Amino acid sequence: MGDHEFMQHKFPAVIGVGRTRFGEHYEKDHEKLVEESWLKASDAAGIERKNLDAGYFSDYFLQITNKVGIEEGFLSELTELHIPMEKMRSFSSAFLNACHAVQSGKYNLVLVGGVEKMTDRWDKIRDDLMLLEDPWSYYAGCTPEANHELMLREYIKKYKISGETLEKFNTALAQIAVKNHQHATKNEYAQFQKEIDVDRVLKARAKAHKPLGRFDFAPVSDGATALVLASSEVAQTYTDMPVYVVGSSSATDYVTFPSRDERTGFIASTIAMKNALKRAGISIRDIQIAELYDQSTLLEMISLEDLGFAKRGNAWLDIYNSCKDYEGFYEINGQKLFVNTNGGLKADGNPLGATGGAQIFEVFKQLRGEASERQVEADGDLRFGCTLELEGFGTKAYTHILRRD
Amino acid sequence: MSSEPIERRVSYIGDRLRGSLCDICKKEYFRVRDYCGSCGRKSFGKMKNIDFFYEKGMLEVCTLIKEPTNKFTKLGPYIYGIISFHNGKVRVPGRLTDGILKEEEIDLSSFEDREVVPRFRRRHTVQQSDVIPTISLAFTFADEYYPHQKHEIVKPKKEYKTPGIVGYGAYVPKFRIKEKTIERSVPFIDEDAITTAVEAGKMALIHSGVDPSLIGKVYVGSESNPYAVKPIAAKVAQVLKLGKEEQTDGVQSVDAIDTEFACKAATSMFKDAAALTYYPGVHTPYAMVIGTDNSQAAPRDELGGELDFFVGCGASAFIFGMHDVIAKLEGWYSCTSDTPDFWRRDLEPYPRHGGRFTGEPAYFKHVVKATKGLMERLKLQVSDINYFVAHQPNIRFPVKAAAALGFKEDQYMPGLKVANFGNTYSGSSPMGLAAVLDRAKPNERIVMVSYGSGAGSDAYSLVTTSQIEEKRRRQKFTVKYQAENEHIEYINYVTYRRFKLGF
Repeated sequence: MGDHEFMQHKFPAVIGVGRTRFGEHYEKDHEKLVEESWLKASDAAGIERKNLDAGYFSDYFLQITNKVGIEEGFLSELTELHIPMEKMRSFSSAFLNACHAVQSGKYNLVLVGGVEKMTDRWDKIRDDLMLLEDPWSYYAGCTPEANHELMLREYIKKYKISGETLEKFNTALAQIAVKNHQHATKNEYAQFQKEIDVDRVLKARAKAHKPLGRFDFAPVSDGATALVLASSEVAQTYTDMPVYVVGSSSATDYVTFPSRDERTGFIASTIAMKNALKRAGISIRDIQIAELYDQSTLLEMISLEDLGFAKRGNAWLDIYNSCKDYEGFYEINGQKLFVNTNGGLKADGNPLGATGGAQIFEVFKQLRGEASERQVEADGDLRFGCTLELEGFGTKAYTHILRRD
Repeated sequence: MSSEPIERRVSYIGDRLRGSLCDICKKEYFRVRDYCGSCGRKSFGKMKNIDFFYEKGMLEVCTLIKEPTNKFTKLGPYIYGIISFHNGKVRVPGRLTDGILKEEEIDLSSFEDREVVPRFRRRHTVQQSDVIPTISLAFTFADEYYPHQKHEIVKPKKEYKTPGIVGYGAYVPKFRIKEKTIERSVPFIDEDAITTAVEAGKMALIHSGVDPSLIGKVYVGSESNPYAVKPIAAKVAQVLKLGKEEQTDGVQSVDAIDTEFACKAATSMFKDAAALTYYPGVHTPYAMVIGTDNSQAAPRDELGGELDFFVGCGASAFIFGMHDVIAKLEGWYSCTSDTPDFWRRDLEPYPRHGGRFTGEPAYFKHVVKATKGLMERLKLQVSDINYFVAHQPNIRFPVKAAAALGFKEDQYMPGLKVANFGNTYSGSSPMGLAAVLDRAKPNERIVMVSYGSGAGSDAYSLVTTSQIEEKRRRQKFTVKYQAENEHIEYINYVTYRRFKLGF
């Protein structure tokens, strides 16, 4: 899409972002976390809350973990606002709906926020996660981790990965965790700001006698994120560096993973990305930075294939080759791709309803050149970034493509 | 699960793994659907019921679960994976059951691409006061203890003048504990008297070839129903689809009832079941009787703990009718007296036992009286009887009773199974009967006498027909097969108590 064409589309723009640190926040309730993130976002955007037209909000299961019902009411009380508010399951979903509303011309200034408070229910959180992901799998004895491991088994069977190749494959997955931890050391908001090494990841798997171990999975986290979305006209009154949302899409798939025909990837991710790229009028090769949904190391690898960055069956090898002497990016098909520069879900943290906000936070900061220590060095101008967020185990996929003007 | 309506819907689908087949595009679905997702509205009325209850599946991929969600922790480590049916037309999640895993030796690929059979088990742990959830998304390997067997409905060839046993089945869990001269069956942690009843009933349907929709009544006798109030028989009727299924109303057209009289809860109903199928004018071609128990005993150091040396777990099921009978019910004699030799008060976890009092004034008095009463009534001599089966709380009692009545070893040994399985309570003398039916020739007479504490005995005389031999081919999972199986796993006392206690 040429610049002229781009301007005609009047894409909504992100004008400010804010977030809390991810991790354990025993002392703060969800309202405190929301407050912290939205004050930061509104401060960054330079808006007054009375100018907000609407709010889109997300939490995956605050009703269960924190026994609260109509979340919008808490937000209304907190902000003393009586504007329309809607609550979605994931940040990306709230963001997508906010984009639709702004683009339709209904609202000009919208607050998008997400929160999750998972550590309050540490003892039951895995039951909650599994039951919500898919009741039938839960009844059959599944765990939140098991589906990742089954997908891994499907993958190595499909591509006949064994022997030395399997060792390389396993190392590549470990390198993903190592790389994400390395990125998180430069992220003041990350849950784990310390490095790990490949050996540690492999040892955790060996100790568990399992294909994936403790260091392959994202943690349970508390946290909140927020951003201010504006129509293109209004955005320009607040900032000269708006980040436009040029392509947003979502897709759905069966709730029961074993029942799907495709079990070495998520068709929802593939479809959502295809549609987002179409809306943005660009190709996957235009995207330079991606925040992927690495609930496990496997999913970061799989997502590279699902979204079209890497060839099917090949992503792990691209990762392996890029991570031998890791320089801060993956090199795929001769191109640099910066992935999960905030540390990903693995090291930045994964407070479900807020996670997507951290992804957009990161891409926003990187595109504006405000990522300080983490700032990536792209070949040429850094213009396009994308995010991928999932709900359930690939039951829903949300993709957003962001562009710096 | 805290909601009973949700539990009803989940168990309706999950207990039997029901699904639908689109008659237009042939796509198959796990779970019942009114229309096909691909074909849309035009498929209304063109969806066929399918289920996977008698099918075998394939474990395609799997992983080890060591840190399960909270309700599965009592299982210990287990294998969970994706199971496909009908060459991949349907895939479901499932866990492998009946396994004690040594995690350091696990090679996941050794489990994959192997055939599995759906089993009927408890789903997961719940509170003591909750509804017990069950499911068939629990599987075992087809090449191990529990073989895959086809279920075929066979059109009856012959109607008899006297009702009798048309088919039977026995089920004993694969775990055993061996102490001195006695081996005893132990349920896996997800088994109980409900799940074993269903398994035995399934075996009886496989053996008899009877159309389950023609079974008009099912009786389940047990003294270890995990519920004080709620019948096992209703679960059996629904899972085995007994009686005609009225799908729009969600009911089975069958009468189902639980009975209780210590170890004779099931045998008492043999005559009732047979008589029911004999009743003129009312169309009840078949009736099923199941004796099932995860026999209860207090731990050894507690009151009533002496039973802990003898209790087993298992069930046997018998289908009565007048068509294709394998053993005619020739006659019976029952006796009863108010003898308090064994009891359990409401809310007490374990039964109490009258010690020596359970011998002469209880077991022997009733068993001998019932047998003699039957022989007098039918004018039988000891030599007229080929097999004698008595209730078997231990090895000594039935042997002593048989000897006192004048029976020889070759008459009573074939039906003596307590040394293999322990005392399976309501399933005890029926288990002996099943063992004898497994080997009896045509025109042989079997006398079976049960004993139920409290107290009473039912003695029956059965005469085999020529059809006993042809039907035998339909059942691989015989009593002998279960007693001598190479996949039996022996466990120690601590594991035994844990398994016995269950989910």
